[in-house]
Amino acid sequence: MIRTYKALLFLTSMLLAPFVSADLVLVANSESGIGRLTQNEVINIYLGRYRRLSTGETAAPIDLSENTDSKATFYRQLVDKNLAEINAYWSRLVFSGKTRPPQQAETVDEALELLANNLNALAYIDRTAVNSKVTIVFEWPEA
Amino acid sequence: MPSLPHNYCLSPPLQDTFARMFSTQLKKLIPLLCFAFSLSALPAIGEEASSLTIRGFGTLGAARSSSEDVEFVRDLSQPNGIKNGQWSGRIDTVLGIQANWQINSEWEVVGQVVSRYQYDDSHSPALDWAFLKWVPDDRLSLRAGRIGSDLMMLADSRLVGYSYLTARPSVDFFGPLFFPSFDGVDGSLTLPFGNGLLRSKVFAGVVQEKATGAPGIWDTSGSPHYGFITDYFSGQWQFRASASNIRFSNDLTITALTDPLHFAAELTGITTASIAADALSAKNTDTRYYTLGAVYDNGPLQIQAAANSITHQTATFQNSVAAYLLASYRMNTTTPYVGISRWQTSYKNYITGLPDTAQFAPINQQFQATLNGSSADQTTYTLGVRWDVWSSIALKLQWDGVYADGNSRFPYASSFIDPNWDGRTNVISATMDFIF
Repeated sequence: MIRTYKALLFLTSMLLAPFVSADLVLVANSESGIGRLTQNEVINIYLGRYRRLSTGETAAPIDLSENTDSKATFYRQLVDKNLAEINAYWSRLVFSGKTRPPQQAETVDEALELLANNLNALAYIDRTAVNSKVTIVFEWPEA
Repeated sequence: MPSLPHNYCLSPPLQDTFARMFSTQLKKLIPLLCFAFSLSALPAIGEEASSLTIRGFGTLGAARSSSEDVEFVRDLSQPNGIKNGQWSGRIDTVLGIQANWQINSEWEVVGQVVSRYQYDDSHSPALDWAFLKWVPDDRLSLRAGRIGSDLMMLADSRLVGYSYLTARPSVDFFGPLFFPSFDGVDGSLTLPFGNGLLRSKVFAGVVQEKATGAPGIWDTSGSPHYGFITDYFSGQWQFRASASNIRFSNDLTITALTDPLHFAAELTGITTASIAADALSAKNTDTRYYTLGAVYDNGPLQIQAAANSITHQTATFQNSVAAYLLASYRMNTTTPYVGISRWQTSYKNYITGLPDTAQFAPINQQFQATLNGSSADQTTYTLGVRWDVWSSIALKLQWDGVYADGNSRFPYASSFIDPNWDGRTNVISATMDFIF
């Protein structure tokens, strides 16, 4: 009976897995002085519209590779767009020579390393990867 | 525009067309690629290491237009179009390569070469962008060199099919915009305003473009061009307003009409004939573009609308207004869309004053044909679907139904127009857009 229950639980979790979002948070270097950001500010930074921070510096957003699920989840949560739409959006800006897209990190570790070396960098990572060297500047639901 | 027939060819079989286009394009673009890669060996300037990025975009497009009386074109830069229900890759197939050399965090050099079907009936690669960009502050951007003209919303990316929904930008709206770039400077300032962002941009320079203008090619090189653009972003909304001016440096090749008009004026003393001839001149005349646009983008739903007004000082071109509305809804990887657009010109009432005698009737007829040559009066209904098969490849299938007045000539290739056209054509388009 217990075995059947566990099997059902496993099956249910597998079926629901695609619909359960990772618990992503946006982080910055803990010494950056960057305070809490609003969702509109995060949208403007990641879509290249306006990257001025309250510190007076220019934000340096970091994207994770498309090979990670995090990138798709992040943009789904942020602007309800899939990666093809995000790529189409950036192709319009890049091929008209207007704005640079976020720098790309292949892994979370690489993103954390970039954060450690740049006080203006921002990256989305799973909440479980947050450590003492970074501080959360945005999370869902918006505070 | 004067509309004198010249030779035109029926499109060859589709397969041969693609093979020919792409082999030619690639051969011509290879030296550019080599040059771009060689830039990466240049030393870095400033605090940050320089980086060179090579990217590209393209469209493999096939389209057919049902009418045998007019040749459907993507825009007025194309000398020949498609007709008679024959599939052709001519009007939509594009290949572009772009190099971005990021010198440091403030300075960047951008160059873009594009091969597409153009004014001289060739696919010869052309340098569309080549500019130096300075971003001293994220709010301010200054560019100098050959810069894309974006006086109409999305106009500077209208060759990058992957970046938009439809098979091609609305012909009714973007068709008259024949120059993709200008040589000069622009400056853009973005600041928070209210609950959104206000971006203001000014630009000035000279257009260096040749256009198809039957008969012959119209060289607009050296035409001063300036204007301003204002965008406002707020939540899911974007609004755009712009105004710009171009003063043409050269005339179209219409001396075959203006010389007889001047001669007739001298012969008869009818000065209106001479005035009519002068009115056709495009040299040192202004054309003004005014546009308004709005985009509502909320998750899977996107609605965009825009309107423009174009006024010409020269009598050769009729003034026009145009607008389009496009709505789409994404469902997973497919995005169906529906659109409507309209393009209407207003007739300019000039007369030669010459009597319709056997001697002058041909001149009067040609003069009226010239005034009517830039007439547009049509509505286009669009239905299509975009399928993002991969994160950098999109397939599109689209139907455009054109309902025009039979005198709507300007939107079509001037090389061939049957005066008995009934104003109807159905255009089916299939494209594969990609970026790399």
